Amino acid sequence: MDKPHKGLPVDSLKYYVWLSALLIAVFMVISPLYLLIKYAVSDSSSINTGGSPIPLWPYHPTVRTFLYLFSDRQFYSVIINSICIALGTVFLSMILGVPAAYVLARYRLPGRKLIVLGLISVRLFPDISSIIPIAEFFIRLNLHNTYAGVILAHTLLALPYVIFIGMSAFETIPGDLEQQATVMGANRFQIFYSILLPLAIPGLAAAALYTFLLSWDEFIFSYFLLGLGKISTLTLYLKQKLTYSPPQNLLATISVCLSLPVIMFSLLLQKYMTAGITSGSVK
Amino acid sequence: MADVVVKGISKYFGEHRVISDLDLDVKSGEFVTLLGPSGCGKTTLLRMIAGLEKIDKGDLFVGGKRYNDVPAQHRSVAMVFQSYALFPHMSVYDNVGFGLKIKKVGREQIKQKIAWALSMLNLDGLGDRFPKEISGGQRQRVALARALVLDPDVLLLDEPLSNLDTTLRDKAMEELKRIHGQVGKTIIYVSHNQVEAMTMSDRIALLNAGCLEQYDTPRMVYDEPRTLFSASFIGSPVMNVFNGQIEHEDDMMGVSTPIGFFIFDKETALRTQSIAGSEVIIGVRPQNIARADHYAARRYSDTMVMVTVELVQSLGDRSLVVGRGENETIIRFLVTREDDIRPGQQLPVFIDGRKIHLFDPLRQTNMLSK
Amino acid sequence: MACAWTQKIVTRIREMWPLFPAAAYLLAFLIIVLAYLLGLSFSSTIEGRPLFPTLRPIHAVVASHGFKEALVNTFYFVIIGTPLELIAGLFLALILYRSFFLRNFIRSLFCIPLAVPALVTAILLFILFDFPGGHINHILMGKYGHLPALIHTPLNWRGTKVLALGISLLGKVWRDTPISMLILLAGLNAIDPELFDAAKTLGAGFRARLWHIILPLLIPSCATVILLRSIEMWKEFIFPFVLAGKYSLLGTLIESLYNDWGSSNEAAVVALVLVVCIVITTFTFLIIMEIIRKWLWKGMSRGQTA
Repeated sequence: MDKPHKGLPVDSLKYYVWLSALLIAVFMVISPLYLLIKYAVSDSSSINTGGSPIPLWPYHPTVRTFLYLFSDRQFYSVIINSICIALGTVFLSMILGVPAAYVLARYRLPGRKLIVLGLISVRLFPDISSIIPIAEFFIRLNLHNTYAGVILAHTLLALPYVIFIGMSAFETIPGDLEQQATVMGANRFQIFYSILLPLAIPGLAAAALYTFLLSWDEFIFSYFLLGLGKISTLTLYLKQKLTYSPPQNLLATISVCLSLPVIMFSLLLQKYMTAGITSGSVK
Repeated sequence: MADVVVKGISKYFGEHRVISDLDLDVKSGEFVTLLGPSGCGKTTLLRMIAGLEKIDKGDLFVGGKRYNDVPAQHRSVAMVFQSYALFPHMSVYDNVGFGLKIKKVGREQIKQKIAWALSMLNLDGLGDRFPKEISGGQRQRVALARALVLDPDVLLLDEPLSNLDTTLRDKAMEELKRIHGQVGKTIIYVSHNQVEAMTMSDRIALLNAGCLEQYDTPRMVYDEPRTLFSASFIGSPVMNVFNGQIEHEDDMMGVSTPIGFFIFDKETALRTQSIAGSEVIIGVRPQNIARADHYAARRYSDTMVMVTVELVQSLGDRSLVVGRGENETIIRFLVTREDDIRPGQQLPVFIDGRKIHLFDPLRQTNMLSK
Repeated sequence: MACAWTQKIVTRIREMWPLFPAAAYLLAFLIIVLAYLLGLSFSSTIEGRPLFPTLRPIHAVVASHGFKEALVNTFYFVIIGTPLELIAGLFLALILYRSFFLRNFIRSLFCIPLAVPALVTAILLFILFDFPGGHINHILMGKYGHLPALIHTPLNWRGTKVLALGISLLGKVWRDTPISMLILLAGLNAIDPELFDAAKTLGAGFRARLWHIILPLLIPSCATVILLRSIEMWKEFIFPFVLAGKYSLLGTLIESLYNDWGSSNEAAVVALVLVVCIVITTFTFLIIMEIIRKWLWKGMSRGQTA
């Protein structure tokens, strides 16, 4: 049967209504980003205008704030901290999560759904509620103000996602390959290592990237676990700058540095995000 | 009840022309089938009549009124879809009454009309059920009821029977014909199944790649196919087609084919005298080739051809034999079941000279059309 | 008999062991969270001596004015924010649904707010809604050419309760709308497009199609959105933390009790209350949905002749 192309009878009025709605929506989505960038490159005269309207584009756009930031030793150490913590989180989450995802994807377990539900049940608690117990517990274990503590906490946040994304990554690999290998005499570990893992790498890479970004812009747990100590992450650095009437361009610049990796990689991760969203809607 | 006139209609999807300059006129109260293979544009044409697709070129008139710019919801045309498109969240009663509710018809009137529609389609008592609770055949009838209850001028049906199994389909075809008789509406029906078309239609519009190949009654389409396409599409099993040349042999007019020289009957001979020597495409239906035995009385216009049996397929009361003749040419013909034929057997067959179709090789039109 | 059983268990363990580390990890935290929440909420210290169990922290919290304020504030936050997110999500989803041109690009575009860290969004609003300067104040005072002046003195956004919580809500809705958009879009895509064709041929114009087909079939998705987003509203922390520091929601109250006042017990009580609020909301919602579903069924077959 011939299937007609989806050509809607374009009613002029309806089309223009739709178009204006689209433009309004795009404006609402884009303008905050524009403003962020604008403030990041603003010079002080564009900010402290003393009553006259703030310009929509700075009088003398400058990268001075960025340079200032990058010359600050503390800024560098903060970024390095964030990166280290994020990497540590990725490492731990993948070590724990990938094998778990493998088992859940590959074996017909009774009550599999229940198991998955049970695993994510800790994430059903609000972040702000679960941080209190965890902070207290970590103080008891002297994990307060340590890298290890934050990494453990971030892993807790990321693990369910790694498992979920990993499960779908493994599930897309057809089972015949493994059956073939078993017939040819390979044991489970060999199968996992030389067949499943290489094929699942795209999906697992997405999970790793997602974990990295999650740790990179995590605020709540980091704030409670590191707030008063010597270790600081980029998010905490940003928050600290907030307390003493900070120059807005500085805030914006740091924000841009914080957001850039996330936005860039999120666009790459679009596909996996939608899967993560539906599981993240539990979050 | 209204007539539908399609004048010079074309439709483009991007650069691709899906319907080319089509003319069609459906008389008021007629049952017309748009028949053709997938992709021929029949559904597109139907949707244009319904108002679901825009008409790029040409005019559409329904009951004398120009419908090109009339939006679908204002047309006096109702449509039944292949997948029925019943509203899953509404009961049968609400589905059937949907159009009436939109038109703000009074509650009592709606009740009456729905009752009438449901009983006409043997759906009594199903008003409270939901689409997922009833069978496919019932759903199809609900879709019909939903369309009929609005008393449209034209009823459009887009392959409504293709999702039913064969037993249901035969019954449904009977019912459709009966309903057509009862309500007397103009019906335009789309199908790729020629049996449906032949059984139910007053006229068949045969479409191929967006062009109208033939528009005639079922009998005419079968007996006098206008083009090679018509001839091969209509009729089951499929027609035998050969290339050949009109020739004069031993004082007889006929056509030479790879499998042999077929004699014409008197009338055909007269009409082809002037074009002797021309290249033609020959079509002979399997029904017009018979086993040459004591059963068949030999007409003077029958040609006998020797074939070697390759395959025998039982069709129930008859069998289809695939045979190979001269020059390795395949020829298909029908025999009655009592015959006991085996592959490898040599069999003589008669080609009925009165039923030979000749087609111009260039334009593929029937050279013998009156 | 027992042998076959243990055999089964052994095989199961051999299959499943890679799962155990992750499961243990998550279960451990679950236990810690539960234990400490309950433990802290019911213990206290009097003159340095620990006391358990006791209702002192609960009494302290319930009696405090700040808690009642925070509860009420958060309740309004949820009641106002959830429908806002639903409508905004519906708006975006409908735009995307009717778009046949650059659809994927626009969808990615609409998802950008999700990609921006919540803290950044909050800080951006911090800058925009500055007092006395700030873009928003300037726009409202008509300082940009042809736009009319709506107010004469700048508004102290972060200093007024309603305004501060208002912009926190704005930030939260802006950031999370893509999620409701995606859920609603999935619901819209699940509707058989032929239903629209059928409705058109039956005489239904745009409004009729929206009302009788899209909205009813979208109710499950809307329900999902309302449930999930209302839970999110209860939990909100970052936006009010940055933008409405002085006015508490339950989330920021927990933080201030813990960090500023150092009373982890009371913080735990509020944290527990938050969990309870979420559970109550979920159950209430599910019950309401059941009632609505039953009413809808009934309404369909009401007043019809068989």
